[in-house]
Amino acid sequence: MTATLSAHTTGSSSAPVTARARARRARHRRTVLLFIAPASLGFLIFFGYPLIATIYYSFTKYDLINPPEFVGFDNYIRMFTSEQLIGKAAYNTLWLVVVLTVCRVAFSLGVASVISRLKSGVGLVRTLCYLPSLAPPAAATLAFVFLFNPEFGPVNRFLRLVGIDGGLWFNDPAMSKPALTLLALWGSGELMIIILAALLDVPQEQYEAAELDGAGPIRRFWHVTLPSISPVLLFGVVNSIIYALQFFTQAIVAGSAASGTADVAGNTKFIGAPQNSTLTYPVWLYVQGFRYFNMGYAAAMAVLLFIVSAGFTWVLVRRFRKSQHQEEGA
Amino acid sequence: MSRTTRIAGTARKRGTLLACTAAALALLTTACSGAAAPSGGTGQAAAAPGKDDKLTLTVYSKFTSREYEVVTKALGKLKAKYPNIEVKHEGNQDDDKITQSIRGGNPPDVAISFYTDNLGAWCSNGSFQDLKPYIERDKIDLNQIPDAVRSYTEYQGKRCAMPMLSDVYGFYYNKDMFAAAGLSAPPKNTTELFEAAKKLTQFNPDGSIKVAGFIPTMPFYANMAQYWAPNFGAKYLGQDGKSHLAEDPGWKAMFEFQKKLIDFYGGHQKLEQFKSGLGDEYSADHGFQRGKLAMMIDGEYRTAFIKDQAPDLKFATAPPPVLDSIAGQYGGGFTTGTIIAIPKGAKNAGAAWELIKQMTLDTDTLVELANGLKNVPSTKASLTDPKLKLGDEFKTFLDMYDSGKLVPNPSTPIGDAHLKAVNDFAEKWQAGGVPDLTEGLKKVDQQVNDELAQKGSGG
Amino acid sequence: MTTLSEAAPRPPASIPPRVRVKRNWNRKLFWIANHALGIALAVIFAAPVVFVVLTAVMKSDQAMSSSLWPTEWHFENFVKVFQDAPLLRYFGNSLLYSSLATVGALLSAIPAAYALSKLRWRGQNLFFMLTVVAMMLPPQVTIVPLYDLWVRLGLTGTLVPLIVPYFLFDAFSIFLLRQFFVTIPKDYIEAAKIDGCNEFQAMVKVLVPMAKPGIAATAMFCFLFTWNDYFGPLLYTGENRDNWPLSLAIASFRGMHHVEWNLTMAATALIMAPVIILFIFAQKSFVKGITFTGVKG
Repeated sequence: MTATLSAHTTGSSSAPVTARARARRARHRRTVLLFIAPASLGFLIFFGYPLIATIYYSFTKYDLINPPEFVGFDNYIRMFTSEQLIGKAAYNTLWLVVVLTVCRVAFSLGVASVISRLKSGVGLVRTLCYLPSLAPPAAATLAFVFLFNPEFGPVNRFLRLVGIDGGLWFNDPAMSKPALTLLALWGSGELMIIILAALLDVPQEQYEAAELDGAGPIRRFWHVTLPSISPVLLFGVVNSIIYALQFFTQAIVAGSAASGTADVAGNTKFIGAPQNSTLTYPVWLYVQGFRYFNMGYAAAMAVLLFIVSAGFTWVLVRRFRKSQHQEEGA
Repeated sequence: MSRTTRIAGTARKRGTLLACTAAALALLTTACSGAAAPSGGTGQAAAAPGKDDKLTLTVYSKFTSREYEVVTKALGKLKAKYPNIEVKHEGNQDDDKITQSIRGGNPPDVAISFYTDNLGAWCSNGSFQDLKPYIERDKIDLNQIPDAVRSYTEYQGKRCAMPMLSDVYGFYYNKDMFAAAGLSAPPKNTTELFEAAKKLTQFNPDGSIKVAGFIPTMPFYANMAQYWAPNFGAKYLGQDGKSHLAEDPGWKAMFEFQKKLIDFYGGHQKLEQFKSGLGDEYSADHGFQRGKLAMMIDGEYRTAFIKDQAPDLKFATAPPPVLDSIAGQYGGGFTTGTIIAIPKGAKNAGAAWELIKQMTLDTDTLVELANGLKNVPSTKASLTDPKLKLGDEFKTFLDMYDSGKLVPNPSTPIGDAHLKAVNDFAEKWQAGGVPDLTEGLKKVDQQVNDELAQKGSGG
Repeated sequence: MTTLSEAAPRPPASIPPRVRVKRNWNRKLFWIANHALGIALAVIFAAPVVFVVLTAVMKSDQAMSSSLWPTEWHFENFVKVFQDAPLLRYFGNSLLYSSLATVGALLSAIPAAYALSKLRWRGQNLFFMLTVVAMMLPPQVTIVPLYDLWVRLGLTGTLVPLIVPYFLFDAFSIFLLRQFFVTIPKDYIEAAKIDGCNEFQAMVKVLVPMAKPGIAATAMFCFLFTWNDYFGPLLYTGENRDNWPLSLAIASFRGMHHVEWNLTMAATALIMAPVIILFIFAQKSFVKGITFTGVKG
């Protein structure tokens, strides 16, 4: 208030104006601070601190009972030399990253384009395709293990009707990951909706123009649809990669539910069943860290996972940054 | 990482945020010092509770359903002596959960585990309290427990758990199917077992299995490497405390026997298909109880399940068949037992010890538990108690128990990691994924020795 | 692309009549094929749930036989599940976890998202990028020190480690809300400020009411995520069954109660039900929210 008054009395002197501006800026700064304080604090505690601490722990041997003991690069050496299952776990996760990503994006795109061309019943079909993605993964996995039971599961019964021998699915190391992929496809409704929205955003005139030009459905798709939805597809790819990198619940539940032994889900002995084919990298990290309590080793595994996933995240972050710049420019 | 440090940098420019950061760090450091205080005495025995102390003991065990009720009732008997103590029994807590609760600083007062797989790990890293001070204070005579049981419940001379009943793994067969196939006596060695399995197996017209004589694949019910190993004379660790499976003829014989049977059935796929149609291990639809399996190896407690869930089944028990070359071992088998202990950090250690004494040394309690669970009692007095009613089929297990030929798992500091390694290998081998048995076993050795080295006691 | 746009003004009359007839036929065939595919998709997506429900009302030996349709209808299976397992308790835990986390996420994320979308400050972009990174990182990356932290605080075995973070920082909620807030014109807020509101009042009185659909969508995603969460509860409440949410309980259901598939499927159907009901009531918010995560990013 004083600043305002003095500004009036002294006329167009520059000093009070800066004082007023400074006061406003200070108030603005305080407001911003107040608004982001909880989030910043949360970020520091739940991301900043653990990210740095993970690196520290990765150089120690720690079992939560005895204090951490510095062991240098031992955990990293162990990771690349003597410990055998990490290779298997990394392979399983890589398999998912490649196959699941391709299938998930292609499948979502396929379903979305079918829905986008429907003239009637769009709402119903869209709802039915989307709903499974809301099902709790643990429950959905149990349902799939039952549906794909080699002996009495409905899937194999249908396949038998048409004369196909259905296979062992979750009980066969060669088919357990494809079965998990099917489960993931069943629950990929979110990506479908995103792609569907993008498809509907493609200007109708472009299609009409292309059609008049004599372009068939495939060429229209290639030259009109794909270019305009490519940012969304990129999102889908990165999103699916991240999804595959964290694949945990379905793998752990399927492994123990299909092993046929009446044990609590997540019991160490049946994690990864059959034959460690569902032992994904996060699952093995969990077992090492929170079942064997080799926390130092788990931290080293986490560092590696961080490096890989940060790389993929970077792709998406760059995209956001670009779009944000555009917003600001507008 | 650079991005994280950068936001920390921008934050520090703002005074208030610095304060926030400081507060956060203070929270972390106080947290650290708070955990440093030791919880639960390690060197001394906690006093027994006074008559007026009202307290609740939490007990974790893996028992469920019918067995849970039996154990809960036995635990409740402590009330006669200590009316002020309530016992809260949590069932279905497996070894992983017990470990997790101890690491998380949130342990129960008493932990009960079905088997001794993890005893070595719990003892060596201090997860279970040493019971020596209690035993000395109360002048407990451990000689009332049979030698074999005493040996599997201690780790390198350290007693940090007490035995609460024993399990013995024997051989079960379906009498009706034996009669129909013209068999009169149970097989005594693996050659006879193989022949019997051939006779008892029935195939459907399409070639799939209708009734299996004897299923060799693992993991399946009680088919796991550890339950079979003693019957083949197979051992996990050599004299040096390291894994030496590849040099042990017993393991090779076991895996080759497995392979022979799998080939007879027409391959791993077919068995997997058949297995997947059988009910759960502890449900009424268990394959043996439903007449889908003619023979199997299982624990003595199965007699109670059959009585409860399939009372009309005509079955008999015998010691498990052994490898032809170690015929002298016939009559023995695998043994393990339920163990009960006080975890590190237990809130009422003194009262917990009173409960443990009641559950492991009191004859009446043990007899009642044994009758209810159909387990082998674990003290000499309770073994000969006239009130013991275990049934005719149970005699086999008592005889095995007396044979002196029972073999427990070795206690290792790596918990059950070695068992996971062997069972993983068995799975792979069955499916035909191992070209060279010896080379494959060498890899298992490597993996187990790596885990042993990680725990700093691999030699 | 350029040729296509050049072709646009060409008049339709130039297509010979015979070609037009053929094209109509093609179009009809295409229409039929597409709708057949749509129906097939709907059936395939719905089938698993239908089988789960059908199996849930079967007798146990029928669930393990090769018949698809129940010969006897045992609706009491749904009741039996509640008798066999303390489902109500698990349900309560799930509800507690999800609702508190949702409230917490909204309380902490709305101001942060407001600051990100409606205020200008140094480090704004960085903060947003870090939020996106935090959203994308697998939870396993930070789990070792975090678990250690909660152990030191003596809070493992409870739901606290799962809920508390939401009251401070939930990357996804901040991200999604920011995406919504950006679409609301700044003029409204400026107008409010001219009327004498400070930033906080402008947020509460102007922005929040205008962004209701976005906030609803964020709340629902947060609720859904925590309701479905398995990793967090497994890690922090694993050993203490009193605090298990449904997602964790369902996974251990079979081993715990030695039940057969019919009851397991009954439990599975029961745990899916609330989610489906939630969706039916709030379908629009869901769809809107999802499209926002992908397209507007």
